[in-house]
Amino acid sequence: MSNPETIVHDVIVVGAGLAGTWAALVCGRQGVADVGVISKVHPLRSHSGSAQGGIAAALGNVRPVEGTGPRGPLEPVPPDAEAADNWELHMFDTIKGSDWLGDQDAIEIMVKDAIAVVYEYEHMGCVFSRLVDGRIAQRRFGGHSAPRANYAADWTGHVLLHTIHEQALRHGVKFYSEWYALGLIIEEGICRGIVAMDVLTGELHTMRAKAVIFGTGGYGRAYEITSNAHANTGDGVAIAYDAGVPLMDMEFVQFHPTGLYRHGILMSEACRGEGGYLVNSKGERFMRQYAPDKMELAPRDLVSRSEQTEINQGRGIGPDGKGIYLDLRHLGREKILARLPQVRELAIDFVGVDPIDDLVPIQPTVHYSMGGIPTDKDGQVISDATGTPVVGLFAAGECACVSVHGANRLGTNSLLEASVFGRRAGEAVARMVKDGARLEPVSGDPAESHRNGLRQMLDGDGEESYEQIAVELKSTMTENCGIFRESRSLKKALQDVRLLQARFRSARVMDKSHRFNTDLLGALETKHLLTFSEVIVAGALAREECRGAHWRTDFPNRDDQKWLRHTLALKGAEGEGPQLSYKSVFIDWKRYPPQERKY
Amino acid sequence: MEPPNGSNTEAIVRIQRFNPDTDAKAHVQEFHVPRVQGTTLLDALHWIKHERDGSLTFRRSCRHAICGSCAMNVNGRNILVCKTPLEDQLDRKGRVTIRPLPYLPIIKDLVVDRSTFWKEYVRVKPWLVPPQTTPAKEFRLSPEEVAAVHNAETCIMCGACYSACQVVALNKAYIGPHALLKSFLRVLDPRDTIPGERLADVGTDEGVFRCHTIFNCIDACPKSLNPTQAIETLRKLAQKRAAFEAARVERQRTIADPIPVPAQSGSEGER
Repeated sequence: MSNPETIVHDVIVVGAGLAGTWAALVCGRQGVADVGVISKVHPLRSHSGSAQGGIAAALGNVRPVEGTGPRGPLEPVPPDAEAADNWELHMFDTIKGSDWLGDQDAIEIMVKDAIAVVYEYEHMGCVFSRLVDGRIAQRRFGGHSAPRANYAADWTGHVLLHTIHEQALRHGVKFYSEWYALGLIIEEGICRGIVAMDVLTGELHTMRAKAVIFGTGGYGRAYEITSNAHANTGDGVAIAYDAGVPLMDMEFVQFHPTGLYRHGILMSEACRGEGGYLVNSKGERFMRQYAPDKMELAPRDLVSRSEQTEINQGRGIGPDGKGIYLDLRHLGREKILARLPQVRELAIDFVGVDPIDDLVPIQPTVHYSMGGIPTDKDGQVISDATGTPVVGLFAAGECACVSVHGANRLGTNSLLEASVFGRRAGEAVARMVKDGARLEPVSGDPAESHRNGLRQMLDGDGEESYEQIAVELKSTMTENCGIFRESRSLKKALQDVRLLQARFRSARVMDKSHRFNTDLLGALETKHLLTFSEVIVAGALAREECRGAHWRTDFPNRDDQKWLRHTLALKGAEGEGPQLSYKSVFIDWKRYPPQERKY
Repeated sequence: MEPPNGSNTEAIVRIQRFNPDTDAKAHVQEFHVPRVQGTTLLDALHWIKHERDGSLTFRRSCRHAICGSCAMNVNGRNILVCKTPLEDQLDRKGRVTIRPLPYLPIIKDLVVDRSTFWKEYVRVKPWLVPPQTTPAKEFRLSPEEVAAVHNAETCIMCGACYSACQVVALNKAYIGPHALLKSFLRVLDPRDTIPGERLADVGTDEGVFRCHTIFNCIDACPKSLNPTQAIETLRKLAQKRAAFEAARVERQRTIADPIPVPAQSGSEGER
């Protein structure tokens, strides 16, 4: 591999989903002319496009018909009627959903900005579904006390992603499609750029910038059954950790209650938002016992735990008893075709069931990463509990941890978070560049160590395939660090991950070529899975309580005295695990003090 | 030479291989792949990559037909391999043949160079150009106006139609079905302010008048969309451009106002 040119931009964005593209677009239209976005897949292939059910904002367009109760049929709010929803309700729902681990100052920004962001999407061309009077249509979602999921049928993420990408092109953003970030260049606490590979040629480039923004997405691929795309291997999270940036709250991994049985492919929460039921092998709507008030529209952590309990107690379905039924039949053909056309096709294509006529087999599926790279409210990455900034480095979306989701994210808050904080990161970076941020010098050739590392991987002729290591990692994470956890299983997982890390050093890359080497990418992705999985497990082992998605059977209560705090994990010395420390949660003790969490 | 037969337990997956750096020309390689219930073509490709040959190269990501990465040519048809069961594609002898999308330069094995495809996409200005002044809330669009572009908004830009189009194959200057479908989405959108400019751009011999209505794009589309119908609509609109522009100006006078609701509306006030 030769020494190709150094590339220079004012701003470099890594990742072209909603968060990264928002950041790039905002920089572009605020006059920062020189913005480069790199993405390991074509921008329109980003996983934001897989989101289905909606984006949350308290627009107050619909409400339950009067006298029908909170689960009654919805109608448009008449123009002169009082608002049926507001940002304060959205804020409380998000705090309660987070099991009080979300930072309430950040949540307040998100739910207030939500309204402007959704209207902005609309003004930029997003084709939302509509009420008869032309307003944006809204539906119910789990854990939300009002119908505030703004949607485009069940392909909301797809239309948001296409809209924002189109507008970024309109504002002259330059995209590097199929470029893969390998490392951050941080010297003296200042981020100066990245090292990245042009996948087509296999060449490594130093890319220098005044600011780098990560919008690299989540890390669901560390598990066997996941709704996540193959691309969601937590690259940005692992790269930041390796560069000495701490990771926050990584132990909080969301299981979505309705992944297609054995595939994990998402059946949108909109299925239940539109009125779908969950049923066990005895035909019982079991949510009655776990969340008598909210039923199927309880938050995801609670519903997934309830499903897993039914499965563990022998009331699951399918040949291995590890499934549950999703029942949409009573919604009727017309509603399913109008509101849930994509999930209907997915059920037909992947499990051979038409939800109009039959029960759909589903199971909990790893879906979302609440943890990630810690940032302040403007996407500025911080390096410790006091908020010391890593100058020049920003992050937003699923790879980041602001934290608005705390211990459990509510459905439709992810598209929202990626949009709101991607936009804010873009604004902060545009200000920084316009205020005269410098292009900091880079010493030596930062690509050299990466080039040597890749050469070693390509030249090595180990016995074992990296895929075998990935398979075993996913197996132990699923078995030992899943919906229910305990000290013994977590210790086993930690031991397994470390052994796999050691084995990876002599893993084999079969493709020796430089051109479009997806085998080499797969190996690098596996390395990233191994890196952050250790942090997930270490955080989970240390946190001796139940909170949101983190459920310890050996510590069955939430413990606010000891654990109402964020985990920070810093990479330790070679051979040592992550160094854990803690950061306080921002709580408005007058307005939103911690309460018991019941649905 | 006749390829070997598969069996009840093994399928023969025949894959076109080509690395321009090392191969003089493309060749077909055969792999014996276990026939397991529920295996998709993408699963089969992954199995080969992990168990037999790591250098086998293909694109994929979401694996549920929304990201558009994995369009390939299977037994002569362009499809998404992620949502297609292996069993459905095996012939009576248990064989299936996978090639890259036709008519596009090959980067490596099943990965094609979609540069011209994306160039045409940008050429039609895929972005909305909204009115200068925006309302405090949403522009009001009726459910009917949204339904009219439903076809176009769900396009995943996989390239299956583009690479199945005979006109594209013969004429690289042709805008192509994917980009014309996107242009249709923008032209029909009541919020767009430059429908006349768009119709002028696509109402040419490189645009909608180049389409021979062979319908290959409809056959190829994995999302059951209908680019040909969109092209037909654009043709008609291109011929009455001035009237269409005037109607758009008129529509935008009230675009921030509530759509008049007929007395009888749906139970949830929405379609």
